Amino acid sequence: MTPLNKAQLAGLTGMIAATRDEELNCTECASLAAEFIERQIAGLPMDGALAKVEQHLQICPECTEELQALKRILESEK
Amino acid sequence: MSSLEFDWPRALSAADNSAAVFELHRILLNGLRIALAGRGDICEAHLEDFAQDALMKVLSRVGDFQGRSKFTTWAHSIAVNVAFTELRRKRYRDISLDQFMEEGRHFAEAIADASIPEKDEARDHLVRTLQRAVAEKLSDKQRAIITAALAGQPFDQTVQFLGTNRNAAYKLLHDARRVLKSALIAEGISEETIRTAFAS
Repeated sequence: MTPLNKAQLAGLTGMIAATRDEELNCTECASLAAEFIERQIAGLPMDGALAKVEQHLQICPECTEELQALKRILESEK
Repeated sequence: MSSLEFDWPRALSAADNSAAVFELHRILLNGLRIALAGRGDICEAHLEDFAQDALMKVLSRVGDFQGRSKFTTWAHSIAVNVAFTELRRKRYRDISLDQFMEEGRHFAEAIADASIPEKDEARDHLVRTLQRAVAEKLSDKQRAIITAALAGQPFDQTVQFLGTNRNAAYKLLHDARRVLKSALIAEGISEETIRTAFAS
């Protein structure tokens, strides 16, 4: 393995800094996706478990991809 | 039939639910067209398959709907999850874990040898502590999963590597991140320093 470059060091330390003791897993994130996106589009605050969705999205590109797709659907219905 | 006002759980649970099922299938299919628009690897037959699978999943889970969003938003979230999960499964069907297990074995050295920009005592201390924690506190699988993440491998591909499910792989990565963070904090390195030391 080649030595880490600056971007990889930033990725690694960013990932570590974003870590919380209690995090949602992907299934828990998916179960909150609908409520999260509706509130995000409406500009409403995220509290409780919904705040943890935001933290999960910092770590998980797959859940981010799915929530962005869901957001496209809802925005098309406006 | 207005999707905004319709009592979907009741209609879908009724003895004669055919009209509601037909309408929900149409809504899910339209949603998937929008969600997956512009992807060259998707044709109408794929969309139909995803919509059908999603419909079955929604029907089996109607009782789980808690009314915290519109029903159709909840159903779309299931359809999107079904579609993306299947697309990733096909994409990463034949991947091996070996490459990342091998790279993971040299992960601590890759950190030790990292080219540190604007090297100073704080950054040097952080890197040395991190290298030691990776070498001493992580398992081979934890080193491999972090290596894969840093290489930009999609998480579902890593799940395939490990022959496990997404939640178990997420827990493996989460535990590894927690171990590393604890090791850095124990050495007096603040979360702010960890976050900003190498950020642009």
